[in-house]
Amino acid sequence: MVLSFESLSSRLSSLRRIRELGVFISIVAMAIVFSALNPKFVSAPSFAAMLSMAAELGIVAIGVAFLMIAGEFDLSVGSVYAASSMLAAWLINMGMPFAVAFLAALGLAACIGYANAVITIKGGIPSFITTLGMMWFIRGILLAVTGGFPVVVQRSCPALSFLAAPIAGGFRISGIWFVILAILFQIALMNTAYGNWVQAVGGAPETARALGIDVARVKTINFILCSIMAAFSGLIALSHFQVVEPVAGQSLPLEAIAAAVIGGCSLMGGVGTIAGAALGAFLVGEIRVGLILAGAPAYWYIGFVGILLIVAGIINLRLTKRV
Amino acid sequence: MSSGTPLLQLINIVKRFGAVVALKGVSLTVNRGEVVGLVGDNGAGKSTLAKIIVGYHQPDSGKIIFEGREVRFRSPADARRMGIEIVYQDMALVPYMSVYRNLFLNREIVKKFGPFTFLDKKKMKELTRQLLADIGIKHRDPDVEVGKLSGGERQSIAIARAVHFGAKLVILDEPTSALSIRESERVLEYVKQLKSKGISVIMISHNIYHVYSVADRIVVLDRGVKILDVPRDTATPEEIIDVIAHRLDPKKIQERVSRAERVPA
Repeated sequence: MVLSFESLSSRLSSLRRIRELGVFISIVAMAIVFSALNPKFVSAPSFAAMLSMAAELGIVAIGVAFLMIAGEFDLSVGSVYAASSMLAAWLINMGMPFAVAFLAALGLAACIGYANAVITIKGGIPSFITTLGMMWFIRGILLAVTGGFPVVVQRSCPALSFLAAPIAGGFRISGIWFVILAILFQIALMNTAYGNWVQAVGGAPETARALGIDVARVKTINFILCSIMAAFSGLIALSHFQVVEPVAGQSLPLEAIAAAVIGGCSLMGGVGTIAGAALGAFLVGEIRVGLILAGAPAYWYIGFVGILLIVAGIINLRLTKRV
Repeated sequence: MSSGTPLLQLINIVKRFGAVVALKGVSLTVNRGEVVGLVGDNGAGKSTLAKIIVGYHQPDSGKIIFEGREVRFRSPADARRMGIEIVYQDMALVPYMSVYRNLFLNREIVKKFGPFTFLDKKKMKELTRQLLADIGIKHRDPDVEVGKLSGGERQSIAIARAVHFGAKLVILDEPTSALSIRESERVLEYVKQLKSKGISVIMISHNIYHVYSVADRIVVLDRGVKILDVPRDTATPEEIIDVIAHRLDPKKIQERVSRAERVPA
């Protein structure tokens, strides 16, 4: 009896170690609810729709989670998302090859990420403030330069269209990017020395420093990666819609943080996984599709996400005492 | 590099933080296999001195000589590479990471896979299991989060990590302050084992009795100045406490050493 209890409790504790468990259960629970409301919910096309909807947010959430685990925020991802895709659209309209536009967009994002890192680390201020300022600064420039009007891609650019091209059955290539990037970042976090440093830098920066880890360098790299991911997501949106609004991506920063937290990441850093954040983004996509199929007005979805976020926060606290 | 040369010599170390002079020219020698108890009241400069030895802070002036050569550590990584490790009171390990990830933090064992290198988790976990068994922590999974271990277990693991990576000098910053009596005893026992392996130890503690149970030499700092540096048996723990509290002139104890030295000569 004692022995079986011990093995049970050790199994339970190893289950509790899986941070993604909560979000996984939520995905299954939502699937049960929505399929009861509309049997069409469990089908390949609706799965494809969820994945496509999740892709843009998910790619941003991967970068945001990677940075959050290192103990920093990035609220400027929505502005980077808009600015870099707008730069790409301008360059394409000027007749530049796609490769130039693509690299320029990611390069701009890398510079903004680097600026966020330098201001936060050298200035010694919380990244919440740095990136909130950066968010408004970039958004202000975009609104001023465009006068509030959208920028439309004015010539056919097959390479751009390929980024988010439909494959079959409602699936899009953007869904593949999302899954590949989630796997790559998850491996980087859990199976490389660098991932070990990221977790240590976010979990206990002083300890990391005492053990010889270059805390500033790790944070800087993650700021840059986070920004680049936001730009890539913006390019996918540009590919999909062939137009970019100066106000695009305004809700992205908080939605990405929500996806990461729902997936088990801690706002305090050091805790969480990329798989969790990606599943969190998928759950948001699932709720969107589920509500549409259930015939509810699409606006309901953000209310759902709100409730989910709070529940996830409470579950995370119970699991690791770190929300 | 003979065994006669001291392992570590600090000469006239000065450290300022703005207008505050934390260390006013402190000199200290640590011999091989010696346990030095570094004591003093709050703000005496013990932790600052420790952080200078491990490269966390850089001295404003003074020399650090390690194994007979002058060294300049720009970061804790430099000092770690030379074999100097510090085990901090509450910040030796990352609480949210597993035991094996902590043990190999910034010294990860990796394997190559094409152009990429990945963690060799199997090997790290295996070594972790051995290490835990060596220090008498049984029935612990290398995957368990450090935050779920007891304070004594954590302290032992942090010290064991230093030893495993070939430290020649281990600095313990308040190793027993957060521990129960039995856990403290275990950690102190462990410090004696370090000494028997020829590893030098600097132990910083408020608990003079814990220091006495392991130290060969007692060094007292007072507001950035070394006021006493004597073999342990020169003074009683109570006398050391009186010196720290300014109730006893340290010269009276220091004199005993000079007298004892004069006799055999």
